[in-house]
Amino acid sequence: MLFEVKDLTKVYGSRTVLDIPELCIEKGKVYGLLGPNGSGKTTLLEILGFLSRPTTGLIVYNAKKVHFLEVHLQEARKEVVMVGQQPILFTTSVYKNVEFGLKVRKVPRARRERVVHEVLDLVGMRDYVDARAHKLSGGETQRVAIARALACSPQAILFDEPTANVDVENQIIIERILKDINSEKGISVIFATHDRIQATRLSDRMLFLFQGKPASSIYENLFSGSVGTDEDGKTYCLIHDKLKLNVRTHKTGDVKISIEPRMIKVFQLEDQPGGEQTLAGQVMQLTDEGGDVRALIDIGIPISVLLGRNAYKQTPILTGQRVAVVCPPESVEIM
Amino acid sequence: MDLLVDSFSSALLLLKSFNAEVLAIVGVSLKVSSASTVVASVIGIPAGFWIAFEEFRGKRITITILNTLLALPTVVVGLFVYAFITRRGIFGPLDLLYTKTAMVIGQVILILPIVATFTISAINRIDERYRKSAMTLGANRVQTAVVILREARFGIMSAVIAAFGRVIAEVGVSMMLGGNAKGFTRTMTTAMALEYDKGEFVLAVALGIILLTISFTVNLFLNYFQGRARA
Repeated sequence: MLFEVKDLTKVYGSRTVLDIPELCIEKGKVYGLLGPNGSGKTTLLEILGFLSRPTTGLIVYNAKKVHFLEVHLQEARKEVVMVGQQPILFTTSVYKNVEFGLKVRKVPRARRERVVHEVLDLVGMRDYVDARAHKLSGGETQRVAIARALACSPQAILFDEPTANVDVENQIIIERILKDINSEKGISVIFATHDRIQATRLSDRMLFLFQGKPASSIYENLFSGSVGTDEDGKTYCLIHDKLKLNVRTHKTGDVKISIEPRMIKVFQLEDQPGGEQTLAGQVMQLTDEGGDVRALIDIGIPISVLLGRNAYKQTPILTGQRVAVVCPPESVEIM
Repeated sequence: MDLLVDSFSSALLLLKSFNAEVLAIVGVSLKVSSASTVVASVIGIPAGFWIAFEEFRGKRITITILNTLLALPTVVVGLFVYAFITRRGIFGPLDLLYTKTAMVIGQVILILPIVATFTISAINRIDERYRKSAMTLGANRVQTAVVILREARFGIMSAVIAAFGRVIAEVGVSMMLGGNAKGFTRTMTTAMALEYDKGEFVLAVALGIILLTISFTVNLFLNYFQGRARA
């Protein structure tokens, strides 16, 4: 095991931003850490990267209990490197930036030079070796930051939203680098993202965080609404004052709901089953997700629907098309 | 008006002739001011860095006191140091009064708050991500500190230059602790004050021109480094 975490919490003032009863991370794998903004992804990565101390809890790294004393953390940091969401490069040359980790590890000069060129090659930035680091674009900066981390030959690299601030071209390159780091160098990778498709595409395992706690899967289609009962005695949830969904709950008043994308059904208008839970919508976007099809449908609010390959074959929908959508009560989770 | 014009043209002639007295005065000024700036930097930069970098009790009040000391009048410093180094003072036996050393001591006290507060704000302006980057790449505390110092280098250069600009132009400390002894502790500012008392303006104006030129050059550098620090 790379990391074993037990009863970990991180509290800022009176706010608990992280509360993880148990978490195990294996060596040599790519983990996608998935969660919405503010779910505690960065906080968890900073703790695993030994940059921040947990408020309580136990962390075992490489079968050794971590003591959160500066001297021990300094040693541990030599094996786990974090690449931040918007990494910053030192105001000097690209070469000196990448060399930094090697210098603090007292690697001899000749070897430093070899490693710097090798890792810059790996991220496709070798031509920029003498460039001023601050002249680079966002995507190039991200790639040099990855090279700088790689140069340290770490056991693991933690990435915080590695493609959040880069263009599509660099996104593809960075995703490839992430894969290569793991498959060719055997480095464990943990990356945070709020992009489910990216997580599916890149990771061997997925971890879900929601409001600082591990979740069984990521909550999608998150909405605020209020629960009420109509004249027929049926419980419904009103979302954004316009959309009424039948739900099963004993809760009343303001709630947060999540609609499971796999349980939503989509029909052609002529085939629609009728009934109250059928809503009219328009297909806004279709994307491939590992053979399945993800549809973004506007039903007054945009909802994400995941159609299995067969379901899509039976009901081939097109973007712009008007469709009927059914959200069965069991697809709606009240939180 | 004639007085100014006449003095100005005579002053230019004096400067052109590389008058020995003028050169001696300028030499003392530069020597004393440079020495005070070096000493104040050696103490003030690490102190400012430490105050900015570390979390400790009383950090805010320390910064407030330093900011207050920025407005320290030179005569107050002069008086304060005089009390220590006069024959009757506790450092009297060292015989420091009316020496360049005394001037340097006074000037260091005067500009230490400038160097320290400018360094603090230069360090505070440095993005937190530099510290985290250095740490995650395996740097220890000293190596991390060096990274931050390097990123703050232009801001710190501004601190040093601003301090030099302050001492080269001050008159109170030099007069009270140096005593304006010709050839020993006479600086540009004390010489100008004396010439004014005598009613002779030529040397005063000539020194004024040199002082302004030095100040202008210093400010050019200051401007350059402040621009780099913000970039």
